[in-house]
Amino acid sequence: MNLELRKIEIKDVVFGEVPGVKDGVLTVCKQDIIDELMEDVNVKSIKVDIAKPGEKTRIIPVKDVIQPRIKVEGKGNGFPGVTSEMVQLGSGKVNVLDGVAVVTIGDIVGFQEGVIDMWGEGAKWTPFSKTLNIVVDIEPVEGLDPHTHEATVRVAGLKAAEFIGKAGKEAEAGVVDKYEMDDIFTETSKYPDLPKVAYVEMLISQGLLHDGYIYGVNSGKILPTLIHPNEELDGAVISGNCVAACDKITTYQHQNNSAILDLYNRHGKDINFVGVILTPELTTLEGKFRTCDYTAKLCRTLGVDGVVVSEEGYGNPDSDLLMICKRLEDSGIKTVLITDECSGWDGMSQPLADTTPEAVAVISTGNVSHVVELEPADRVIGSAEAIATLAGGWEGCLKEDGSMVCELNAVIGATSEIGYHNLTVELY
Amino acid sequence: MEHAFVVVTNNPLVGKDLGEMKFVEGSYEDVLIKVRDLVYEGHQLISHPLGASMRMLFSPYRSVLVGAERSETSEVYALTIESSMDTFRRSTANRNVDHVNADDYARIDLELLKEAIKEHGIIQREKIQEVQ
Amino acid sequence: MSYKVLYYVNQFFGQVGGEDKAGMAPVIKDEKVGPALGFDQLMGEDAEVVGTIICGDNFFNENNEEAVKFIIDAVSEKNPDLVVAGPAFNAGRYGMACAGVAKIVADELKIPVITGMYEENPGLETSRAKAIVVETTDSAAGMKKALATMSDLARKMLKGEKLGYPEDEGYFAQGKRLTVFSDKRGSERAVEMLLARFKGEEFKSELPMPVFDRVAPAAAIKDLSKAKIALVTSGGIVPNGNPDRIQSASAQKWGKYNIAGKDSLEGEFYTIHGGYDPVYANELPDRVAPLDMMRKFQKEGLIGEVYEYFYTTTGTGTSVGNSITFGSEIGKELKEAGVDAAILTST
Repeated sequence: MNLELRKIEIKDVVFGEVPGVKDGVLTVCKQDIIDELMEDVNVKSIKVDIAKPGEKTRIIPVKDVIQPRIKVEGKGNGFPGVTSEMVQLGSGKVNVLDGVAVVTIGDIVGFQEGVIDMWGEGAKWTPFSKTLNIVVDIEPVEGLDPHTHEATVRVAGLKAAEFIGKAGKEAEAGVVDKYEMDDIFTETSKYPDLPKVAYVEMLISQGLLHDGYIYGVNSGKILPTLIHPNEELDGAVISGNCVAACDKITTYQHQNNSAILDLYNRHGKDINFVGVILTPELTTLEGKFRTCDYTAKLCRTLGVDGVVVSEEGYGNPDSDLLMICKRLEDSGIKTVLITDECSGWDGMSQPLADTTPEAVAVISTGNVSHVVELEPADRVIGSAEAIATLAGGWEGCLKEDGSMVCELNAVIGATSEIGYHNLTVELY
Repeated sequence: MEHAFVVVTNNPLVGKDLGEMKFVEGSYEDVLIKVRDLVYEGHQLISHPLGASMRMLFSPYRSVLVGAERSETSEVYALTIESSMDTFRRSTANRNVDHVNADDYARIDLELLKEAIKEHGIIQREKIQEVQ
Repeated sequence: MSYKVLYYVNQFFGQVGGEDKAGMAPVIKDEKVGPALGFDQLMGEDAEVVGTIICGDNFFNENNEEAVKFIIDAVSEKNPDLVVAGPAFNAGRYGMACAGVAKIVADELKIPVITGMYEENPGLETSRAKAIVVETTDSAAGMKKALATMSDLARKMLKGEKLGYPEDEGYFAQGKRLTVFSDKRGSERAVEMLLARFKGEEFKSELPMPVFDRVAPAAAIKDLSKAKIALVTSGGIVPNGNPDRIQSASAQKWGKYNIAGKDSLEGEFYTIHGGYDPVYANELPDRVAPLDMMRKFQKEGLIGEVYEYFYTTTGTGTSVGNSITFGSEIGKELKEAGVDAAILTST
């Protein structure tokens, strides 16, 4: 497969009548976006705002983040299987509005948190304070069942990104990233001496607000599956996950999966990157045993020497992570895990309840209970109730001057377990 | 493979239509304690005691599936429930239970429970039709 | 500005005397005694030792409430910016006392504490999270180096500077897992760690798994009614008067006592354990080491016999190293005596 991600560097976003990119300024037409999304009969109203890095703006509760793009050569614009007809992804040329993110908000349930602060202390803790965010607030019609409600908001976000992405169709790309990888046998004949490496990407797959999709297929309904890294970079995997703000994988992070990119970067030099295995994190223990066995079996079938495993979420997925690790290490496959941890407010708690001695190489992307202070915002995009939920964590977390303290677990992407962000934990 | 299950729950939305139920008057932690006791009495632990995110640990409600029949106590299940209780206590040490959103938690817990029963039903074929 | 430091030493380093003075009640002196003098010189203009508390090691451990009160009073009178205790090297009771000072002063009075210990000192585990504990040698021969490190760190603590990594600065990690920003994102670190593994290079897991000392359980006894069972406790139950002087904390030894012909420990035994309220154990020592129930089972024929000696030590503050030694020694004796099983009770 041969994929080109052609990056159009965007320095500013403005509202205007005619969408397009000129001198690094992206113009979006607010009414066009609203009209496009209102075509869904389940959508009652749409609001569109822009939030820029440095502004004293808070976005809450974030549902998903999506990168706006357009495919300019080859098949499969949008998100095949969800917003467009099914085609094979992973090849062609894609214009990417680099530096721009579509951020969807809309509370399906009251306890969603998911905060992005665009300035100050809060901005340090989320990767999405550095992007120019086009915030789409989606209110569906009343009376929808929760599954339809979630699907409406999810699909509206994808459509918005696809629609906005059209503005980049004619624009001149700056950096062009090329991702080319042939079948495993060809690559192995090219690099016979390099260690073969697979990436296991675990996906929360447990039901409403806890789902992921591969070409539109709910990941809870599959056995672990092998896909080409280009497919994920080209939009094959999307998020349906509305909880786990700090460590869920947003659609943007699938499109720009840092683990895939960093493995690709070494492909042909230090390693032979043979592919991505998508593994559902199920609810039942029998289900977990099955998927973990199956994942390890796929790795063995590929004959890999090493694996990077990333988790999504916290709690029951920790069991899957360690089971996969044990199975791989027992097969003689060197394994590195990426996960976050909960070591309490003061970092003094033993961070893992589930342990396995085989987990000798672990990357920690931060303590989800680490406490951060957020100043009062000048502008809030989203819902005051969500802030109340955020501020209701414990007695005294809302201070008199309007600032509040919250745990990192409320901050979007803070402890990303695909290693998208740069937090770590050090022992003192 | 033992098929029949019992729902251990403190969620008022969980009805008898889903199957046999042990209703716990109490908190999320009380549900875990009940599950632990059942596991030590030899019940299979069918669904994982914890949710998949920190936020779901602040829920006032939780439903867990255990096997209906008793056999020997399983070390795997005992370790799973014990480590889950440990994680629960550590993660919620400083946190209030989110009662304001209790109704939403109850709804989502019910949805996730149905999903777990369906997932269990892949093994337990004859039950698939009962849950929609 | 010069900061104020209050110093804590035991009877030996306080130049009062040796083991015979270990029971001395605490005193406070305005002058700098023993290591306090050396520490004061190292601090130069930055800080001054304004007093030295001298307390007997046994007194601290056995009359803890009184010792605690004395320290609280001394701290409120001298109002120091930092309290220094030790270094205790590998002296167990001294280490426990330094740990006690850390608990009161750092944990409750919120004044920083620095001390120094050898890695096997039983005081380390209870104090490392509360105080900065400098790693020392196992004997006072390392005093000069210990004081140098302690004064370097004390200077930073007084000035509110962030301490470097424990391994670089020479103190024991406190077990605080701090979330910090890395210069590389997580996925890049993961790929680099995998490459290091391929090349056989050293790598440092960012989330080390805890290491448990697992002991495989012995096979079950086939016929209890013929088994010889021994009673072993870490609850500090000893004959009245504690003839072998087993320590009430940080035990350095264990004892064995003949119980042949006795139906209960009542009246002849008591507890010297420093870690729990002794009232109920003294009332009936069988509550800790249940000889009475063992005899009942013996009479009922549930077990064959009770081994004629029972073994005892104190668990509180006792180092893992000592515990392993005690366990191996006791286990060897029991095996040689043909004991089939032992009941271990803790408190």
